[in-house]
Amino acid sequence: MMSVRALLSRSAPLLACLGLLGIWQVGSLILDTDSFPTATDAIRAIPSILGDKESLINILASLRRMAVGFSLAVMVSIPLGLMMGRSRGVASFFNPLLMIIYPVPKAALMPIIMLWLGVGDVAKTLVIFLGVSLPVIYHSFEGAKAVEEKMLWSGAAMGLSAARRMIRIVLPAALPEILTGCRTGLVLALITMVTSEMIARQSGAGNILFNALDMGQYDTVYAMIIIIGAMGIGLDAGFERMRRRLVRWSEPRFDLPLSFS
Amino acid sequence: MNARGATTDVLLGIVPIALLLGLWQAISWFGYAPPSLLPPPGAVFLRLAQQLLSSGFQQEIVATLFRLFSGFLIAVILGVGIGLAAAVNPAVDAVVRPLVRVLAPLPKVALYPALLLLLGFGHESKITLVAADALFPILLATYYGASTVEQKLIWSAMAAGTPRGQILFKVVLPASVPSILIGCRIGLVISCIVVFLAEMITSTDGLGHLLVMAARTFQAVDMFVPLITISLLGLILNGLLQAVRSYLLRGFPEV
Repeated sequence: MMSVRALLSRSAPLLACLGLLGIWQVGSLILDTDSFPTATDAIRAIPSILGDKESLINILASLRRMAVGFSLAVMVSIPLGLMMGRSRGVASFFNPLLMIIYPVPKAALMPIIMLWLGVGDVAKTLVIFLGVSLPVIYHSFEGAKAVEEKMLWSGAAMGLSAARRMIRIVLPAALPEILTGCRTGLVLALITMVTSEMIARQSGAGNILFNALDMGQYDTVYAMIIIIGAMGIGLDAGFERMRRRLVRWSEPRFDLPLSFS
Repeated sequence: MNARGATTDVLLGIVPIALLLGLWQAISWFGYAPPSLLPPPGAVFLRLAQQLLSSGFQQEIVATLFRLFSGFLIAVILGVGIGLAAAVNPAVDAVVRPLVRVLAPLPKVALYPALLLLLGFGHESKITLVAADALFPILLATYYGASTVEQKLIWSAMAAGTPRGQILFKVVLPASVPSILIGCRIGLVISCIVVFLAEMITSTDGLGHLLVMAARTFQAVDMFVPLITISLLGLILNGLLQAVRSYLLRGFPEV
């Protein structure tokens, strides 16, 4: 039997969602303009989007590109970040370059990359890859840097090779920090995906959103906003559950996403 | 020894940047890519220098900077205010925490069409988007900093006779400044990025608009210039914030 308090704290995010929808509903009833439909109207428009075959295919294609871009970025960034964290040479080699790349708006590269690679999946996936890489590299770097030196010495004394020390000691020790980076990266992947589709205006979830805006289908606009928002919240919550399971041994100091770098 | 190590670090760091520039130059030199796709670096930087001196381009920069700073300032005020309130008051905390958990991972750029419909195509919608995006890193950093203030500091202040109402501003706020500044740094770079993207999606002025115009007419050189400009602005603002940070934190033990 769960106590009322625990139940309340568990359902707090859900209550927050309902509260926001409630504020929206009241706000739109007060303003009463065409361009701001009520929350219930917007929710009612969701099934027609998800039921429409073309837009469903579009959204799924967006998600597929996002998954590919995210996975590739994680596979490249974690080893790079770990190596940067353990070797001063590697760190000073890459750090200035990353510092320069950091403030570049990745989704804004879309027009240039489209010029080179065409409008296909490669360009869109590449942009997502770029958007995800930096936070994952940064957090893997910080995590690997903080690994206790003594553990590595013990490993070396027991005859582990450098590569095996990396996999057996540094990777698990840095895992909590790495997963924090991945969590940021996941949200950034979604943001980059939506933004680049809004800029490129070719296909995908971001495009549906702006097409509906151009055609004055305001219900669809707000329904798409709910869908994209729900994706972000859902992905983040799902990842957080997985993260907690993977790093149950490490004290969860802070369950809110700390970094959005 | 240490100075020499630092010099080696700097030299090592220049290598990949020089390599990239060299590769870029080589590609256009040997004609692997036509200048319409990848203009030579010399042409891009020459154009950048020209543009930076032209008054039309400077006006675009001013438009972008105005939106950037307005959004960022709103985010700082709201973020620090809400973060502090949530850290010291359990009732506020109970409301803010779940809201933040829901709103922080929400892709704010998806709200942009709604902001356009509600606030129009002018400054307001872009400033709101920038503020919404920069808010959460600042809020979370403030909250984190203020909720990890050492209890001993508060006790000593109370023992020294500080009234309860002033502890927030005399102890908690100064003690969380390092954390707040980290949040501001992330928020500032995010503001730079978001203002540019918002201008790309729909705008009639600003640096992002310049990039879109260049893309529509396939002017590759002019596509690079605004992109480099906004990145430079990001670096410069980051550096300025770093200077503010070392000034504000001059008495702190370790940062």
